[in-house]
Amino acid sequence: MTTSKIVIVGAGLMGQGLAEAIATAGTEVTLIDRTTKLAEQGIKGISESIDREIERWGLTQSDKRAILARINSSSDLSQAADAEIVIEAIPEDLERKRSLFAKLDSICDPETVFITNTATLSISEIGASTERPEKIIGMHFLNPVTRIPIVEIVKGLRTQDTTFEKAVQIADVLDKKWITVNEYPGYVTTRIIVPLLNEAMHVLMEGVATAEDIDEAMKLGFGFNVGPLTLADMMGLDVVMSWMENLIRELSEHKYNPCPLLRKMVRAGHLGVKTGQGFFFYDKEGNKINGHANTQTDKPGAVK
Amino acid sequence: MKILVINCGSSSVKYQLIDTDNEIALAKGLVARIGMSASVLTHKPHDRDEIKVSGEILDHIVAVEYVISILLSENHGVIKDRSEIQAIGHRVVHGGEKFTSSVLITQPLMSEIRSLIELAPLHNPHNIRGINACMKTLPGVPQVAVFDTAFHYQMPPYAYVYGIPYVMYKRYGIRRYGFHGTSHQYVSERAASMMNKPMKDLRIITCHLGNGASIAAVDHGVSVDTSMGFTPLEGLLMGTRSGDLDPAIILHIMAREELSLHEANTLLNKHSGLAGISGISSDMREITESADDGNANAKLALDIYCYRLKKYIASYAAVMGGLDTLVFTAGVGENSPLVRNMSCEKLQFIGVDIDDAKNEQVKGVESDISTADAKVRTLVIPTNEELMIARDTKRIVDEQAKA
Repeated sequence: MTTSKIVIVGAGLMGQGLAEAIATAGTEVTLIDRTTKLAEQGIKGISESIDREIERWGLTQSDKRAILARINSSSDLSQAADAEIVIEAIPEDLERKRSLFAKLDSICDPETVFITNTATLSISEIGASTERPEKIIGMHFLNPVTRIPIVEIVKGLRTQDTTFEKAVQIADVLDKKWITVNEYPGYVTTRIIVPLLNEAMHVLMEGVATAEDIDEAMKLGFGFNVGPLTLADMMGLDVVMSWMENLIRELSEHKYNPCPLLRKMVRAGHLGVKTGQGFFFYDKEGNKINGHANTQTDKPGAVK
Repeated sequence: MKILVINCGSSSVKYQLIDTDNEIALAKGLVARIGMSASVLTHKPHDRDEIKVSGEILDHIVAVEYVISILLSENHGVIKDRSEIQAIGHRVVHGGEKFTSSVLITQPLMSEIRSLIELAPLHNPHNIRGINACMKTLPGVPQVAVFDTAFHYQMPPYAYVYGIPYVMYKRYGIRRYGFHGTSHQYVSERAASMMNKPMKDLRIITCHLGNGASIAAVDHGVSVDTSMGFTPLEGLLMGTRSGDLDPAIILHIMAREELSLHEANTLLNKHSGLAGISGISSDMREITESADDGNANAKLALDIYCYRLKKYIASYAAVMGGLDTLVFTAGVGENSPLVRNMSCEKLQFIGVDIDDAKNEQVKGVESDISTADAKVRTLVIPTNEELMIARDTKRIVDEQAKA
């Protein structure tokens, strides 16, 4: 088996979405995770995601066969050795990312470009874990990768223009619009959306309006596809909180302080769609169960 | 003259090397799965067995190089030197309003073909890739573009303008263009020759029934109407395409199922037609078998298919004020006596009368299937778009040499 030119490390939701999108665009890709089982779970997730797309008329069974045939899976990091581009899609944890890139740095061809997938971390700091900081660049895809048409391409302090061009190539393969971001905490999208979500939680906590009404007003009032509380549920409340903590750490501005209601819900394990309960309730497929806002959260007394 | 005919898809290159002196294909083949690690080239020389070669073919340039080298190869080749390829003919899907006939490809012309991508985003980019690949691989060999839309260019405005604000035509070029032109032209020329009459004396209806399907009214040699429109989605029911429908339906479905443009497009182009109605297959043979076995939805799909075809045949006869020749071609048209029979039923009033016994026997060969005293000759004619492209290519290269 030949190694594909594009390798994705990390077969979680983000890695799955990227592999699916790249393969759907007609390009071969290798998906790597720590164990064979994790890598295979990634493939299974992709297969299920394609099934949902078929149900929505977006793809056909023969598309599915063709797409899956373009995705190889592996638990062997050395498969990345002769890759042109390695895209990292492991959890948002600086130390884990740094240690992965240090390993990849020793395995891969010196010309291989590394793309790190992060919403808030410093590209320069990740790059410093390797001997090739000029060949590292960030791409911040938004979930679900297959449906959101924008990507932020984030340049670290030492990122070279040729590296930037590779990231643009990937964006083009995926048929996504891209914007250039000069590294700064939170980039553009995360930094702007996070205070909005946090403010919606404050409005809810202070008993100003119900969760459903807050979302309805923002959707219809400002043309959002989903309301802020639903959006937070979809992103994962723990993820939203980790972004805020990172922004606080980097910028020390109180506007990034997580709302007490958010902290409480994360501690209670109510993380949104993925746990079936956040500001709203969700079924196993992640569909909102209508008329069932999580009323425990929208009473002012609930957090006292 | 030996002419290489190329038809490029997104991940495939179909080719034929045609000797125009004897009008035979010296070799034909297909490169599939371009861009993947296991691409496959299928090659059939006219006098030897088919072979398959696999390898890593990353792009269309490499694909064309593979094609040239197999045409030259000692065991499977049909030519000794690449200079024997005297011209290349390309199928280009959309010629817009600019290209009303085949043209010799030049650099300035390429940018005009590129400007048509907006009208045919699914096809023209691949066709252009094929042209570029040949320019790199066989520099200096004249190349000709043959357009799927060209045969229909003389349609009158009342046939090509849609009933929406006229400014949409002016602004975005939204009008009927029609497709399968090369095939409609080939079979109407063949029909005229089978009837020993010039095309200008005949009113012909040509039914191209392949996976995509369209029908054309060829009035005294001119295509005056055709069922495919701005895109190949309009008209007859097809394997996976809806054909005609109330345009409000799609707006309604998009709202009800919250579909994106892409999803709605795929629903109409890939989930509809025979496959969508039957839930079984887009292949007429399987539909016919299932209908035979009593599957109600397969029968319904078959009925809709033939019913719509009949409506188009009769309306095109009305457009031309009568009919002399009806032609069936392409996969279904050439090979399904049942479809021919069902769609011609009750058409005696316009002179179509087919002989059931003759019809039953004809599969994939040129034949007249009408009754002896039918006013309209109903013909089955296998299409040959590649030969048509080769003929046009030769004509243009010869003209160029004289000039």
